[in-house]
Amino acid sequence: MPIAYVFNKLIREEMVKLTKPVELSLFVGTNLVDNENIRSILKVYKDSSNNFLSIKEISDPIISQNFDITHFPAILFINDKGKEIIRYLAKPFGPEIRSFVETLITFSGDPNYYELVIKENINKIRSSIIKVMITNSCAYCPEIISFVNKFAIASNGKIRSVIIDIMAHPDISESYDVSSVPYTVINDAKTFNGMVGPEEVLFELIGGK
Amino acid sequence: MDSLDLEKTYDLVILGGGPTAIACAIYAARFALDVLIIGKIFGGLIATTDIVENYPGVTSTSGQGLMEMFKEHMNSLNIPYITDEIRSIENSGDCFKMHSFFQKFKAKSICIATGSERKKLGIPGEEQFAGKGVSYCATCDGPFYADKIVCVIGGSDSAAKEALFLSQNAKKVYIIYRKEEIRAEPINKKKVYANEKIEIINNTNVVEIVGKTKLDRVIFDNGKELEVDGVFIEIGSIPNSEIAQRIGVKTNKKGEIMISRKSETNIPGIFAAGDVADAPFKQAITGVAEGVIAAYSAFDYIKKVEIEY
Repeated sequence: MPIAYVFNKLIREEMVKLTKPVELSLFVGTNLVDNENIRSILKVYKDSSNNFLSIKEISDPIISQNFDITHFPAILFINDKGKEIIRYLAKPFGPEIRSFVETLITFSGDPNYYELVIKENINKIRSSIIKVMITNSCAYCPEIISFVNKFAIASNGKIRSVIIDIMAHPDISESYDVSSVPYTVINDAKTFNGMVGPEEVLFELIGGK
Repeated sequence: MDSLDLEKTYDLVILGGGPTAIACAIYAARFALDVLIIGKIFGGLIATTDIVENYPGVTSTSGQGLMEMFKEHMNSLNIPYITDEIRSIENSGDCFKMHSFFQKFKAKSICIATGSERKKLGIPGEEQFAGKGVSYCATCDGPFYADKIVCVIGGSDSAAKEALFLSQNAKKVYIIYRKEEIRAEPINKKKVYANEKIEIINNTNVVEIVGKTKLDRVIFDNGKELEVDGVFIEIGSIPNSEIAQRIGVKTNKKGEIMISRKSETNIPGIFAAGDVADAPFKQAITGVAEGVIAAYSAFDYIKKVEIEY
């Protein structure tokens, strides 16, 4: 799928803000069309990054298994200790572009608005996975993605975020019985239907206190 | 984040993330005010609108598309925007101190542009099936209802636009309205009447939403039932004025902040604009205008300059 001119332009404009190196891991599966599609999108990011963004493509099923990846393609933000911080089971395209670039910039080490409070509360926070289920026509989804990813980065992976396009992965939406987005799930237990703010998510992460 | 400085006292802090807030910020920045926007949802309610065709200068775009343009304009002026919610405001004489759960802020003036949120029906089944068939955002959830039967409850222009959007994918769309005729803008009303997938059920109220694990029908006040897969509620909105009320900003019976023609509230240094304020006709463009006036009035307040209107 060719990337629309307008989104191409947006990626180029946003990627100028990335000023430190970042590496993404792209795990590809057996669907060649999906693989090519995501490669072409990530290439636009890479080509617009002034060489700050590198993409490591992984097709080895054993490595995928080690990261417990069952849905492809998957984009992973992995820290320097090899720990997964953020997983995208969604194309960083259309309305998701800005929050994706924001995540790249924060992951590269730029200031993180939520870092102080997350670090202050890190001992109260359980190891958590926050799944954000989205569609590419959802206006509120990028807002949630943005702060949830920043939580994950600030916690250095104690909180992990997983961004899921449920139109691309209907089996996931069925298993969670989702018919409304954004739909946020914390540790496969607590769910938020619709827009939720950073404060409410943090309260849940620290046990509602 | 580049230009965010939590230590400084901002000239103007704008609460809200919709077009009103962004327009206020753009003008404030051009008046050389130190400005910061704190919003819970960037884009506000208009971001969930499928098609915007009444914003001058923009023939047709999506609500999200319009807000992308606002964002680009905001970014070009390096205006900091953060996703957060102010919980308390304190007037300390020389400035206003604000607290969110994450940070503290100081400002010489504030513009409250917190907009409104969709009203709920308050009928049995609504809460139970929220996210399981009951939705308040057609553009978010419409794709789930391809070839299904849905209804839109409400008769406003927004309800008409939601029905038109849903009809692109759904098999059938009912508009259920309590009065005789929907009150959409004539141009949208015409589109609704011309759309073969849309049927209007008027003079009818939904009194219950029923189903097992997912909703399967709605019950009317005349006792009749309608089988549907999804219910989209669009019955207007309520102003997000709680933070304003807590600090003594005057509101009317609807909870809207009462403002002057200069977007002033009863508290000097606190301004309000857009859907949260008491204008009778609420549109993105009217909110933008009030936001711009608020920026000018904040500039006036801070610089103590008389402005001739």
